[in-house]
Amino acid sequence: MCLKRVYAAWFGIHFFLVTAVCLAGVFWLIAQGSTILPSPFDKYARKGELVATWCLGKEAAPSNPVRLVIATYLHAAGIQAGYSFFAPNVPSHHRLTLELFYKDGRIEYESPRARGRAAALRLDSLLDRLPEKRYEPIREIVLKMLAFSVWREHPDIQRVRATFEAVHLPSIVDYEHGKAEMIEPMFSFDFSLRGEEQQ
Amino acid sequence: MSSLTSYAEGNLKLNLLHRGWQRFLGFLFPSESDTWLAVFRIGLGLQVTLYAVFLRSDWHYLFASSGKGLIGREIGEAISSFDSPLIPKFDWLIAVGRMLNISEEAVLTIAWVSLLSAGCLLLLGLFSRPAAVVAWFVHLCAAESGGLLAYGADAFTTTALFYLMLSPLPDRYSFDQWVTKSEPKNPHALGFWHRVLQVHLCFVYFIGGLAKCLGNGWWDGSNLWRALIRTPFNLVPPDVLIRFKHALPVLGISICLLEVSYPVFIWMKKTRGIWLVCILAMHAAIGLLMGLYFFALIMIVMNLAAFGVPYSSRRTQATSVSTEH
Repeated sequence: MCLKRVYAAWFGIHFFLVTAVCLAGVFWLIAQGSTILPSPFDKYARKGELVATWCLGKEAAPSNPVRLVIATYLHAAGIQAGYSFFAPNVPSHHRLTLELFYKDGRIEYESPRARGRAAALRLDSLLDRLPEKRYEPIREIVLKMLAFSVWREHPDIQRVRATFEAVHLPSIVDYEHGKAEMIEPMFSFDFSLRGEEQQ
Repeated sequence: MSSLTSYAEGNLKLNLLHRGWQRFLGFLFPSESDTWLAVFRIGLGLQVTLYAVFLRSDWHYLFASSGKGLIGREIGEAISSFDSPLIPKFDWLIAVGRMLNISEEAVLTIAWVSLLSAGCLLLLGLFSRPAAVVAWFVHLCAAESGGLLAYGADAFTTTALFYLMLSPLPDRYSFDQWVTKSEPKNPHALGFWHRVLQVHLCFVYFIGGLAKCLGNGWWDGSNLWRALIRTPFNLVPPDVLIRFKHALPVLGISICLLEVSYPVFIWMKKTRGIWLVCILAMHAAIGLLMGLYFFALIMIVMNLAAFGVPYSSRRTQATSVSTEH
C-alpha cells in the first residue's frame, strides 16, 4: 500500500508537470496573437503562461535547486516541450543560401547539406527555429558554423555571405493561378573565412 | 445533537474521500498482463535500431565538436546546460573518454554502437532493463547535444524510453524470460505503467488537438495544404494535392476533432477501435506523405502499446498471472 502511494504521488507530480508544460505552450500561442481567439484573450493568456512557467520553476533564479531539478526531470522524461506541432498554423519554412566568393573572383551558391534524409530533416528543423526571438543571441554563431561546414569542403573560398530567407508558400487558389512561393530575405551575414582560419 | 450531526457529516465526507481515493487507486493499478509491454519493448527496439542505422552516416557530422561537424554540439549543450547542467549530454561521455585517453571520435562511435546494440537487444528482449537504460541515456545525450537539431520524434522517443526503463521488464515474450524463467511480474505494477502511457497519450492528443483548433488554417484545410507542400515534407506533388482540394477542409477538421476528442473516445469500449484505427492511419499518412518516418513509427508504437492490446485478452491473461502468484 505504501509503494502504491509513492507511485500515485509520482503520477500526480509527473502529470502536473506535463499539464504545466502543455498549458504554458498553449497560453504562449494565444499570447502571441496567432490564434483565432479575439485579442482581449492575449493578456489573460500571458498571465496564464506566467503561472504555468512559475509552476515549472522558470521564474526562479537560474541556480535555484528546485528549478534545476524540475528542468533536469523534464528533459530526462522528454516532456520539456509541449505538443502543439504544426499549431495553431503551419509556419513558413526557411532556407539558408551561402554565396561563396573565391579568390579568383568566382561566385558559387551552396546550402548546408547532410548525407542522409534523417539528418537533412534535422537541418531543416534547425533553420525553422533560427528566426525565433529566443534564438537571436546564437543566430549569428549558428550561421557562422553552418558557413564553416561548407567552407571545409571548399578551402579556397575567401568570403561567404550567408542569407537567411523565409519562404512563404502560396495558397491553393494562388497556386492554381500560377503563383509560386514568395522569398523574403530576413537577414544576412558576411564571414571572412580566411580571417577565421588565421585565428 | 449538533456536534453529533457535524461528526456524522465529517465522517461521510471522509468516507467519500476514502472511496474516491480507492477508485483512483483502482484506476491507477488495474491488473494487467505484460502483452502491452512486449509490444512497447519490441516497437521501441525497432525505433532505436532504425534511428541509429539511419543516422549512421551523419552521426559524427551532427555530434562532433565545433569545426568538425555541422554546427558543433557545443551550442546544443550550452542551451541544455542553461536549463540545467545536470542534463546528460555527450560532453560527459567525451570528458570520461579524455580521462581514459579515448578520442572524441572514438567516444561518439562507441555511443553509436551502444545505441544500436541497445536497440537490437530490446528487439530480442535480451538484457531488457540494461538495454532500455542505455538506449534512454544515449538517446537523451544525442537529443540534448543535438539541441537545435532535435524535433518532435526525439522528445517522444525519450519519453517512451523513460517509461520503458521504469516498467517492470522483462516481459514474458523476451529472451530474458526464456533464459531466466523468472517469476511473472506484479500485474498491478504492469497496469500502473500501462496507465501512465495511456494517460500521457491523452495529454498529447488533447493539447495537440486544442492548439490546432485555435488556428484558422485547420478549419479551411489550408494548413494541410501548407504542411504537405513545404520543404522537406513535399513528397506529394502539389498538382496531385489540387485534385483533392475539396477533401482538405474535411481532413483538417477531422484531424482537429480526432485529436481533441481522443481522451474521451479512446477509453470507451465501443469507440476505442475506431479512434485507434483513425489515429494509426493519421500517423501512417504523416509518415508516408511527409516523410516523417521516425515520428510516425514512435506514435504508432506508443498507441499500439497503450490501446492496441485487446482488453478482453488482457484481463484473461492478467487473471492467469494473478493465479500463478
